[in-house]
Amino acid sequence: MANDRREELLKELREGVVEFDEERVKAAAQAVVDEGLNAYDAIMNGLAAGMEEVGELYDQQEYFVPELLMCADALYAGLDILKPHIRPEDIGATAKGQVVIGTVQGDVHDIGKNIIKMMFEVAGFTVHDLGRDVPLEKFVEEQLKTDSEIVALSAMMTTTMMGMKKVIEMIKEKNPNVQIMLGGAPVTSDVAELFGADGYAESAGNAVQEAVKMISNLRKLQNQGQQEQKDS
Amino acid sequence: MTKKERVLRQLEGKEVDMTPVGSTTTYAVKAFGDACGYPRPQADTDPKAMFEFALMGPKLCGWEWVKAMGWDIVPLSEAMGVELGPPTPETQYYVKAHPYAESLEGLEFPSDFLSRGRFPVYKEQFRLLKEAVGDEMCVFGESEGAFTCAANLVGTEQFMKWMFKEPDKVQQVLEVTKEAAIAAANFAFDCGADWYVFAEPTSGPALLSPRFYKKVVLPLEQEIISKVKGPVVLHICANTDPIIEMMCDTGAAGISIEEKADMKRAVEIANAKGVRVFGNVATATTLFNGTPEECYQEAKAALENGTNFLCPGCGVAPLSPLENLKQLRKARDDYFGVKSEWTD
Repeated sequence: MANDRREELLKELREGVVEFDEERVKAAAQAVVDEGLNAYDAIMNGLAAGMEEVGELYDQQEYFVPELLMCADALYAGLDILKPHIRPEDIGATAKGQVVIGTVQGDVHDIGKNIIKMMFEVAGFTVHDLGRDVPLEKFVEEQLKTDSEIVALSAMMTTTMMGMKKVIEMIKEKNPNVQIMLGGAPVTSDVAELFGADGYAESAGNAVQEAVKMISNLRKLQNQGQQEQKDS
Repeated sequence: MTKKERVLRQLEGKEVDMTPVGSTTTYAVKAFGDACGYPRPQADTDPKAMFEFALMGPKLCGWEWVKAMGWDIVPLSEAMGVELGPPTPETQYYVKAHPYAESLEGLEFPSDFLSRGRFPVYKEQFRLLKEAVGDEMCVFGESEGAFTCAANLVGTEQFMKWMFKEPDKVQQVLEVTKEAAIAAANFAFDCGADWYVFAEPTSGPALLSPRFYKKVVLPLEQEIISKVKGPVVLHICANTDPIIEMMCDTGAAGISIEEKADMKRAVEIANAKGVRVFGNVATATTLFNGTPEECYQEAKAALENGTNFLCPGCGVAPLSPLENLKQLRKARDDYFGVKSEWTD
């Protein structure tokens, strides 16, 4: 019976996100809390699953940015209700790391950045959002302050894209192990490689996958380093 | 055939000896400023500097027409009170804050619109250009279009959500920016422009669905273009394949597209409707980041795919190497087997 109810509410959350029906998402999220069901499960298998479907609709050119933003609002409405009820043991098993994110100096386009930020949050990352039009050195400062594993940079214009190259140089100089991910309309995987980035996100779904891959690479490197220290 | 005849005839769909080459988008190229001794940001605000800078496209790259109205796509937004971030030799003016983000109170089309922002500067730059090269070359003006300007006034994210949540507010803002767009284009024609470009990045499929384009943008552009007294070229970035037909149905004389769009298909659709196509050498990956050879090959491909005007696909990035930009003319001359009369 409980399982049926779980399925029912997950479906409500999922469909509510896809159909950007904030009220429906809120009601289902509240029901999860009131009925003592697992909030983390509801986020991952309800809200996030819905957003995954939204990502597919976006890739199929069924949905565009206005739809994406409406879905994001619906997701956040549910997240606000569910997040305080996540149990520490759920997080402990899945905490993925920390990300510093922002749109580079001279660029105020932050729609893409906000969507990526949301995907990171839902996937269990701790996100330090610097906003838009961010002075380049601020990325370096924030990374050092928070010891984040990933810095994600966004630029929407060919002109501001050049700032990314500088940030990468500045960060790598201080801390070569930080993984840097780029995204934004003018950025391609070639540009990311040319600028010395570690990852490139073509879309919101792909960003989180890239991030998980980057962190596991980083952990492998760190483990190797420790192993080498032990061996020597 | 002079280059002015070539360009005008091509715009009207008449026979020409070869495809004209130039840029119908912004070219805030740093090397242009260095070469003429009037670098940006001086050339963003001073009419004489803006004029000298504009001539560097033809002089250094052999482009066959010249641009008026500065090196960014925020003229309307600026005159409507949008706060701009400062330009540098390497970056352009950009929208920093949205004056009507909180409320639409006080939003109206100002009666002194054409004396606001940099319109007086553009007027003088037009005069200088027409006097110096008006007989031999076409001059075009450009600004953002009404839809993009509207998003700048209230914030793009909010404006996108309003498409669903507040359609009345969307129309309220567009009523005002529509006036601004018509006034700016007619101002340019009064100053002697041969065509006017509306850059509408915010209305393209990178953001907006073709469904909304059809419902909101198409009727908007149709009304604006019907009230503008000269030929309009509509520029939209990213992959515009899904909206090429609608772009042509706006009444525009030409459409300007990026490398992400299919040039061959665009030319087939547009030319059948009597619309000309501008484009589409990639600005980020090729003109800015690529080698001269890659630029040459991409220009050649655009010609093979039938572009009516060989152009960069979008605004040229300030740090694009001069050698790359020269490849457009070189490819055009080689393609038509003419010995270039142009030397820089």
